[in-house]
Parts: sequence; C-alpha cells; structure tokens
Amino acid sequence: MVVRVQETGVDLEVELFGIPLRTPLIPASGTLSKEALDEVEGVYGAMLPKTTTPVARAGNPPPRVAETPAGMVNSIGLQNPGVERFLQDLEVFDLGIPLFVSVAGDTVAEFASLCEILSGDERISAVELNLSCPNVECGGLVFCAGASSVEELVAACRSIVGNKPILAKLTNEGVVENARAAEAAGADGLTVINTLPALTIDARARKVLVRGGLSGPAIKPVALRAVYDVSGVVDVPVVGSGGVASGTDVAEFMLAGATAVQVGTTSFVRDPQEILAEFTAYLKESGLGASQLTGAVRSHDPGVPVPRPKPVHESSHH
Amino acid sequence: MKFYRVNVEEREALGSYTLLRYRWNGPVEPGQFVMARAACYPITLDPFLARPFSFYDHDGGVASLLFEVRGRGTALLDAASSIEVTAPLGKRFRIELGLGRAALLGGGIGVAPLKILGRHLDAMGVPHDVFLGFADAAASVVAKDFPGAEVATMDGAVGTRGTVLNASGALTNYGAIYSCGPNSMLAAVKLAAGKNSLCQLSVEERMGCGNGSCNGCVVPVHGGYVRSCIEGPVFDAEVLAW
Repeated sequence: MVVRVQETGVDLEVELFGIPLRTPLIPASGTLSKEALDEVEGVYGAMLPKTTTPVARAGNPPPRVAETPAGMVNSIGLQNPGVERFLQDLEVFDLGIPLFVSVAGDTVAEFASLCEILSGDERISAVELNLSCPNVECGGLVFCAGASSVEELVAACRSIVGNKPILAKLTNEGVVENARAAEAAGADGLTVINTLPALTIDARARKVLVRGGLSGPAIKPVALRAVYDVSGVVDVPVVGSGGVASGTDVAEFMLAGATAVQVGTTSFVRDPQEILAEFTAYLKESGLGASQLTGAVRSHDPGVPVPRPKPVHESSHH
Repeated sequence: MKFYRVNVEEREALGSYTLLRYRWNGPVEPGQFVMARAACYPITLDPFLARPFSFYDHDGGVASLLFEVRGRGTALLDAASSIEVTAPLGKRFRIELGLGRAALLGGGIGVAPLKILGRHLDAMGVPHDVFLGFADAAASVVAKDFPGAEVATMDGAVGTRGTVLNASGALTNYGAIYSCGPNSMLAAVKLAAGKNSLCQLSVEERMGCGNGSCNGCVVPVHGGYVRSCIEGPVFDAEVLAW
C-alpha cells in the first residue's frame, strides 16, 4: 500500500477489499443527494448513492420522518427512479473517488438481476446489498431475518456480479450469525448496521406518526457493539455505520474493528468536513495512521472473549 | 449540511409569533427558506434536527424569520442569542411581468414569505393585494406589518370571520396568485384560482435535512412524490396532486 501523507502530516488512507480510499469515510446510502455533493468535496473515500431498485419506486406517503432524541425515524420506502435511469445519470456521482452502488429488490432474483446489470459497468467499484428490505417470497420478512436467507442472497449475487466486491449491509438483529453467513457465501465486506426498527406516536392525535427505522447518534452504542462483535468473528473487512457524529466516533468504530466508516443522518445536522477535521486531529494527536486503528482496541482489552472458530471462507473470486 | 453561526440582532414579539433578525449579506430570493436552530449543537442532541423557516424579509443585509413556538426546537430558538442557519435553500416565487394584479394569500405562520415577496413585487412595479388569515387575534398581530392587507380570523375577532378566502373573495380577476399556508388552505386557493392565472404555492412540510438527501419532506405530484426542499417549497399549483 502506498502511504499518502497529507499536508496535515496525517495518513488518512485505508484499503477496503483492495480498493484504496483516501479517507475511511463513506456516505451511508440514502443520506447524500446529488444536490449536496458540492458541500462534501474531499471528505469521502468512496461515494455511495441512495439504493437503486429494478424499477422506479414512488416511496411511502408522508409523513416519512419524525425527530427523536439524538436521532430520527424514517420510512421513505426506497423512493428512487429505478436502475435504468440511475445508470443514465450516474455521472453526477463521479467525484473522482471509487463509486459504490447500493441495490435492493423484492426477491433474490431481483437482487441478482441488478448485480448482473452492474457487473459490466466499469464506473462502479463495488456493490452494497441492502438486506433490510422485505423479501416478498418470505411473507415480507426482511432478507436479514435469517442466516439462510442472507446466505442464499449473497451467493446468488456473488455468482453473477463478476469481480466487483460485494458489501452485505446487515441489520443489528442476528448480526453475528448473518455476518458469518454472508462471509461464507462470498461477501467481500460487511456494512454494520442499518437503522433499528422504531416507531413514533403522535399522542395528541392518537395515531402512529412514523413506523420505520431509527438512525442518528441514538444508535451509536448499538452499532459499535455490532461492529466489535462481528469483526471478531469474520475475516472480511467491516464497514461501520450507525450514529457516527464526530471524528471521535469515526475513531471508535475503527478501533472496534471497522476498516471504513459510514456517515449518514448526522450529515443532515453537521458539516461532514468538521467530522473529517476532527478525525484528522485525532490521528495527529495519537501519531497513528487511519489504517492502524482498525481493531486496535482488542490488543489492549484482555477481557475480550476468544472468538469462536471461524467458518471456512468459501471465496470464489479472488 | 453546513451551518453558519449568526447573532440574533433583534427579536420582536408579534402576538403568537416571534420575528427574529440576523445579519445575512448574501442574496435571498422570495420563497426561499433556511434550516435554523439555536446555536447549541452538539451540546444537546435533543432536539436533533434543524427546522425549516421561510425568509420573512431581507433588506440591507438583515434577514428575518417569523416563527411560532410549538415545541422544544422553536422554544430554544426563541431564547437563543445566537443561532445557526444554512445558506438560503429551495426554489423562489416566480415573478412575471405583464400578468396584471397579483393576489398574495397567507394562512397563519404561512404569511412569512409574503413579506419579502411583496417587497420584490413593489420593486418590480407589480400591483398586488394581500390577504391574511389567522386562527385568532393573537396570531393576527403580525398583520400590522402588512399595510393595507385584508385580514380574516377564524373566530371573527379581527377582520372578516372565516378563512383567508372569505377575506379575498373571488380570485378570478387576478393575473398571478401566490400563497403559503397549511395544505388544506393551499388546496382551496388552488381551486379558487382557476386555471387562467399564474398560481404558485409554497408548502409547509416537516424536513429532515433541507438539502435533498433524506427524501423526508415530499409532496404528492402527478406520478409520485417530489421533495419540497429541492423541487419546492414553491410549486406551480398544477404540479401538486391535491
């Protein structure tokens, strides 16, 4: 790996499944629109636009968002123009950094067809599977609801996406078993975690306001635990996601075992440039490069239980 | 989202509402909004999100926002000596010359963008009438800042009893109609406007981010939903599917 020392004298670069990232920050899917790209120049190591689906989705009727302490609950419904239109307009997301694409479908076949479409597109460096959407073939349970479902889906995508790395984005529930299953099926990395199932109620109107997913700083300790536990039992890199709100948070996720870190909801209320500046200051103070942080907390923590035996990595693409 | 910390230059109580002024030298177009919050982040993460406010006015480098204290976010805003605001966001009201007289209709806190719109219409020589509707007398205090405006209150305490449309009467003689208020009011204005005039409506939606990222603030249009922060908050009436 070429060590790139920035003007600050701090090495921010990390390598994620062989792809060098100039910083370990990635926007969480669905939290950075094309209209907001100018504001984040230089912040991210890879770009990751909102999830695309085989055909356009109108999304859910409003209200779609509700504020909660240190976070928000959203139920957007994967509003997007569909993969054909998405690829036509893909140039707007060319920031001169690796471009990851998040995909979702109603069935395994839909996921696989999306991976097939993306497999030959040289503009795309990696694919993230949004496993938190309902599987209509399993009565609407999310793909993450069981390890066998995760394994089947990841294997189907792995076999058709060519040499592009796959990130499996997992929800918190069952995350360790699902992480093992995804790795066994050939995932090259794991994004941990998605939003937590949540509900808000309008007491005055006596009705449900938003039933959806909770994001923001409120879920950070949950996400941190998931990253820590998962990275202890898999060999593939983990991308931390969930409530990252500061440069210290970025460091914490990496120390817990993340190779890269996604910034999502907090980018609505903070300038992500500040988060990168804080992270840079942390590295400068600690005298470490970003890539040296990953998992570093384990060697200083004798109380960590010894990980269970790891499954054989059945990678078919390296 | 990038926020700028600004000092509150002046705070004026206007009945149910508060008018807050701060220095802002950049351009502000009528109908645009900002995301604003008390300058307390990250000391408190509750409330977490900033709130969208239409510009009430902008003159001589001073911008003003009109708001009503409805929850913790606005209560903190009401007490803060400095606030954090984004740059002006969203689509503006479109002003076209040669359409004749314009009608401006505001409901409740939705009167806010009509002040700066009136200023721009005056500057461009577009004659216009202003109609303002409020729940009650306390809310209607801000009307004093709109000389010549016709006022309606739901309880009849000030002006005409009823809605803003009771104050305005038929709108068919106007060449341009601009309105901001609750969706139910905007739908009624759209209906009253008919199809022969320019009719632009500024919607009031809860927002997550204000920069198009979260897709939370959508309004229904023919064929789906669009974001009020990017495609709006000002829409041509015929675009909206209500």
